[in-house]
Amino acid sequence: MKTYKIYSLIGMLIILSIFGCEDDFLDRQPQATLVAGNFPATGEEAVIATNGIYNTLRIWGIYSGGFPLIDIMTDEMVKGSNPGDGVQVLNFQNYTFTADDGNIETWYRTLYLGIRRSYLVLEKVPEIEMDAQLQNRLLGEARFLRSFFYFSLVQAFGDVPFVESSEAPDGLERTNKETIYQEVIIPDLLFAIDNLPEKSEYANEDAGRITRGAARAMLARIYLFRGDFQNAATYALEVINSQQYELEDEFQMAFRVATEHGQESVFEIGAIPEGNFALGGNQYANTQGVRGTPNWGWGFGRPSYPWIEKLNNNNDPRLEGSVIFLGDTIDGVLIQGDGTTPDTTYAEDGSILQIETYNRKVYATGERSADRWGHNRRVIRYADVLLMAAEALNETGRSAEALTYLNEVRQRARGDVDGILPDITTTDPDQLREIIYEERTRELAFEGLRYWDLIRTNRAEEILGPLGFEAGKHELFPIPQSEINISGGNISQNPNWN
Amino acid sequence: MKKKLQLILLLIFIVTSVKAQVELKGKVTDADTNQPIPGVSIKIVGSDRGTVTDLEGTYTLSIEEEASLSFSFIGYKTQTVDVNGQSTINIQLEEDIETLDEVVVVGYGAIKKSDLTGSISSIEADEMIKAPAADPMQSLQGKVAGLQVLNGSGRPGAESNVRLRGITTLNDNRVLYVVDGVIIEGGIGFLNSNDIESVEVLKDASSKAIYGTRGANGVILVTTKTAEVGEGGISLSSEYGVENIANKIGVMSGPEFANYINDAEPGTYNNISALPNTDWQDEVLQNWQPIQTHTISAKGATEKLSYYISGGYFGQEGIVPKSDFERMTFKLNTSYEVKPFLTLGTNLTGININATNPPGVVNSLIRAWPINAPYNDDGTFGEVQGSNPLAAVEFNNSTRNELRALGNFYAEVYFLESFQFRSSYQFDIINNKNRSFTPEFFVAPLQQNEESNINIGFGESRNWIFENTLSYNKELGRSTINSVIGYTAQEINSEFISGGRRNLIGVDPSLWYLNAGASDYQVNANGGATSALTSILFRTNYAYDGRYLATLTFRRDGSSKFGRNNRYANFPAIALGWNISNENFYPQDFIINNLKLRASYGLNGNQNIPGDDQYSRIGSGINSVFGFNESLINGASFVDSPGNPNLRWETTSEYDIGIEFDVLESRLQGEFDYYNRTTSDILVLLDLPGYAGAGAFVQQRFNAATVNNNGIEFALNWVDEIGDFTYGFGVNGFTNNNEVTDLGEDIGIADNIISGDLGNGQRVTFTEVGMPIGHFYGYKVAGIFQNDEQLNEFPRLSQQGVGDFIYEDVNGDGVLNDDDKTFIGSWIPDFVYGFNFSVGFKGLNISADFAGQSGNSIYNGKQAVRPNLVNFEDRFLDRWTGEGTSNTDPQASLTGINYQPSDYFVEDASFFKLRTLTVNYQFLRTLLDNINFNSISVFVRGTNLFIWTDYSGYTPEIGSGNSALGGVIDNGVYPTTRVLSTGLNMTF
Repeated sequence: MKTYKIYSLIGMLIILSIFGCEDDFLDRQPQATLVAGNFPATGEEAVIATNGIYNTLRIWGIYSGGFPLIDIMTDEMVKGSNPGDGVQVLNFQNYTFTADDGNIETWYRTLYLGIRRSYLVLEKVPEIEMDAQLQNRLLGEARFLRSFFYFSLVQAFGDVPFVESSEAPDGLERTNKETIYQEVIIPDLLFAIDNLPEKSEYANEDAGRITRGAARAMLARIYLFRGDFQNAATYALEVINSQQYELEDEFQMAFRVATEHGQESVFEIGAIPEGNFALGGNQYANTQGVRGTPNWGWGFGRPSYPWIEKLNNNNDPRLEGSVIFLGDTIDGVLIQGDGTTPDTTYAEDGSILQIETYNRKVYATGERSADRWGHNRRVIRYADVLLMAAEALNETGRSAEALTYLNEVRQRARGDVDGILPDITTTDPDQLREIIYEERTRELAFEGLRYWDLIRTNRAEEILGPLGFEAGKHELFPIPQSEINISGGNISQNPNWN
Repeated sequence: MKKKLQLILLLIFIVTSVKAQVELKGKVTDADTNQPIPGVSIKIVGSDRGTVTDLEGTYTLSIEEEASLSFSFIGYKTQTVDVNGQSTINIQLEEDIETLDEVVVVGYGAIKKSDLTGSISSIEADEMIKAPAADPMQSLQGKVAGLQVLNGSGRPGAESNVRLRGITTLNDNRVLYVVDGVIIEGGIGFLNSNDIESVEVLKDASSKAIYGTRGANGVILVTTKTAEVGEGGISLSSEYGVENIANKIGVMSGPEFANYINDAEPGTYNNISALPNTDWQDEVLQNWQPIQTHTISAKGATEKLSYYISGGYFGQEGIVPKSDFERMTFKLNTSYEVKPFLTLGTNLTGININATNPPGVVNSLIRAWPINAPYNDDGTFGEVQGSNPLAAVEFNNSTRNELRALGNFYAEVYFLESFQFRSSYQFDIINNKNRSFTPEFFVAPLQQNEESNINIGFGESRNWIFENTLSYNKELGRSTINSVIGYTAQEINSEFISGGRRNLIGVDPSLWYLNAGASDYQVNANGGATSALTSILFRTNYAYDGRYLATLTFRRDGSSKFGRNNRYANFPAIALGWNISNENFYPQDFIINNLKLRASYGLNGNQNIPGDDQYSRIGSGINSVFGFNESLINGASFVDSPGNPNLRWETTSEYDIGIEFDVLESRLQGEFDYYNRTTSDILVLLDLPGYAGAGAFVQQRFNAATVNNNGIEFALNWVDEIGDFTYGFGVNGFTNNNEVTDLGEDIGIADNIISGDLGNGQRVTFTEVGMPIGHFYGYKVAGIFQNDEQLNEFPRLSQQGVGDFIYEDVNGDGVLNDDDKTFIGSWIPDFVYGFNFSVGFKGLNISADFAGQSGNSIYNGKQAVRPNLVNFEDRFLDRWTGEGTSNTDPQASLTGINYQPSDYFVEDASFFKLRTLTVNYQFLRTLLDNINFNSISVFVRGTNLFIWTDYSGYTPEIGSGNSALGGVIDNGVYPTTRVLSTGLNMTF
């Protein structure tokens, strides 16, 4: 009997001793990652957290979902690539895409990912005891980026759920976009203007961070989109008068590796020539790179034949700077293109529909396909700022001033060639307006701007109607169907998308 | 106390030493057959001395004149005799019908089969199908009622896809494997099936509840071989076979393909006869590849020591080049009775696997253009649209090595007659290494590698369990009590480290190391995971008079995968049984000589999710690029998937009613069960609202949804002999109804879950209340538009024209849109069954095993995914080419509207197959007497000889992945093979 007691006692002791620390034994932290809550806690960590927001700008889905869909939807571009590849992209060329489209969902979700990452900085950094100037700069960068993501959302989708912290509550509905403009998009940029350094004030190793100039230019772009020409003019002129920027001497140099973060670049996304996102690559240019020989990419986003013809007809040198043709030799490499893609496609009446070409604005030097991933996407160029200034000035009765900036762009485009692209002299606001519009599509083609230009100037139905654009519907993209489904109907669809 | 014991021992010593000793001899034989019985345990009553009979059944023993001896052997009645001065005692042992009763392993113990209350299928080694395969589970296909085993890949070393009683959860449906008490993460493809003694499949809630933690999907207990007293010898088993592709997929030939393209794009090919005509499956796949397995083992046991030791080899070349698999296994099971009250033991398994990771050519075999030639005139690889598979093979150099050791060390202490305390430390350590080298090469612009590269990965997983149980087994009058109580703790830690470089200084295998690469590009990664589990378990089995049976089971688990509030869960179960045939009123000579009813109800759990799903995490490496001299600058932010701190256990409640019977003196044994299991709080990854900011393709873990599975399960086995002629057959199967009964709309989840990505953006499975999990979803094809009239008559999508599919306007609203997508098939079979027979005459035996299932479909994704123009399967040859030509297959189209998800791509995947056919000859004993062998047999075998199915892919045996939501989509599998083999088994 005694033995039994001893055994039970030992047994009990073993069991009790193990149970005593059971919860500790079962508390397991994730490995190699932090549990959210106490990061960032220092000035250094604040920088690292801010860098995490910028990372979003390189995600494949951030601009209309990877493929240059927003340009393919315009008269400047068609789907491209091999006819059999990426068939769903054709839906954007033809306006047959639906709310189920995965590209739209990716785009929408990635924008909110950026917003959530911004909140990590906006919520934690103000509490950190650190260098006040750096603190404000980081908050300025974070607020610019939040504004950028939200503007992209309301521009594309109209009213959207308004998330105001890193932990979004359940059951959000759509908030009037005006509220989002007034509470976030515009105030964030004003804060950024007040707190961010000018481009020249950043250290060399910080090139690519958001500048005061970028914030002003962004604000100008937003006001222009809203039709507030007064403010658009104000902020575009502030950029111009800041003396921080100049056009590159040659048009095509605005996009080259050699001029990354150069004098024309206002807002640009740094990327490293590695075929890998984690290593700093950006697939944006690979998606559009020459397909076949040389193997530079997939060949999506083909310059449209009418656009090519238009520039060709008056010998606009920007054609060469914007388009890669078969037979071109670039940096010693002969462009042969894709063997299984027809070089020319004809309509039934025998007229040319398309020719195999590629977007030269995303060309990056280098032999390897991975070099394409190093292309720095220019989100805002100084040429755009000049044209925004010209347009806004023209709309506010300052047409003569507008000419200065318009002609600055034309002069650079013209280069040394005589007899083309003469200086514009008319100060008739209506005439000048049309000329500026035309200048924008020549100068800024394939840069994600045309579609919104047509929407904001109410020309979309006229110009894109033949492609499939329906007024009253396509001014906005559909809210992704998944978002509506998950909300259980809390989130409504845009007009005419059901 | 201790002094008393010493005194007694001393007295025994004195008493025994003064008694007169005699030399006793004798032989033990079977009372019926007069055959000698080796291994009979002979004990001197009242002492712990004794001996064992040898192979001839004889024994010698030095013994005092007045002692008594007890002769015992498993399956025989124990006899006790007084020596009374005799010098020879021959004993005839009689078979004991009652103790012959099989003992069944039940998890933390074993129970007599007649006392069993749960639904458990027990398969002894000699009942398992013998098939040349790495995964022992392949041997259970069609063998166990309730168990679906699919061998859907011919890849060397491939593991089977095993599901029990339907699809329990939307999440991970894998069953839990326990090898010699060691709970395994993943499958048991590493085990040598020759080392397996028995496999027990725990099916109902009561049986599984002791593994409450992770029991919900079913538990499979594997017991490896040990030796019983008197057993001994060496055995050798060898099998060598050759593999050939079981069936090719019909694809278009060169001319057929060119004609098809010409139909779609007129004038593309003008001189079709001049085009190459390549059959890529013939070009790449290699037949007559060897597959072999060899095991040598030795075992033996005395009263105190028992051992089993073996070494095994399995090798398979595979029909895809560079996909070989080689495995060596080592096994050591020993136990030693240190003291009458203390036994120490160990079960150890060591595995070494060397394999080549197959090149990814399975899809290009059927997609590469048949009008492209494999080689250029100069002998270099030709450019092939859809990738040149021969080149892909050539430049693939990817190997895997795995070293694994698992097993346990245990101590058992017996005290107070009926108590046993067992403490066991168990471990499972896996180390693996992956190495992949790609040389610089150029075949075509889309098939080239600009710089050679090397990638290395090391991983390790360490899993330990400390298990302490106290058992109490006692017969009290008519009652038998069988109880166990225990505490276990488990910890699993895993870690990986990997690296890569480019531009190696050469291509020789001796250079396939990181250090041979250029130092300007270096990538590396390192991470880990950890989880832990603690449990209290309890089970008591009570039998009264062999008639009334009851089992109570309880397990309480704590899991590190859940937060403190939701961490613990209780899994109780109860089972009752009634051996009707043991009742007095039961007629003794009734045709049904054994009849048992049983019923059980209980709860099981599932926590098979990554440990971090409860946390929102911040991760490093979310980098950005800054600076004029661009460099990658560290960033950190939320790792995409937000945590769900409210996660809790997934719970399955199940009831089971069963009847077991033996008919005609047990020639026929049968079993029927009705099972009904409901899984709730299912742990599942679901899409978040986009505004939650998790990013694209990122999902969050929730407890959502309820799923019910129910059905009937049966097994019938007939064994008989007529003179020298023996024969037997068995049939088993189960039906299954699978239905989602709730999706958790109340917690903000959409009323459906769309999944089943084809890889081209199309998603073809749909999970909704009232339907089976992840059923296929798309348009129903009603025919082909034959003319413009029909085009105007039926609602259609704008892109549809004459020659395209007519999709059915399912809701009849006159508009064809997404609302007309509907149920177009389920991948979950209604009925899974197996059938086997064997006939024998003297040494010759012929046996065959069949397996099948019905009512399930597969979405043939490889026909639908068309991101590029690739070859077509031959069904497209029957295409519509003008009015009246076809009402089932559309006109030639390279892409577009006819590839919308529809039932055109859903194929019936019911099948019935001859799994193995074996002819075995065992040499008669009379022939062996001279050469000292115990037994020799030789056999020839065919595996996967025939399959009857309408499915057009390599195999209909494709199982669902780790998430059931995605259904079964055939996106290309490694072709399955037919094996012809021959082998030898001998013991000596």
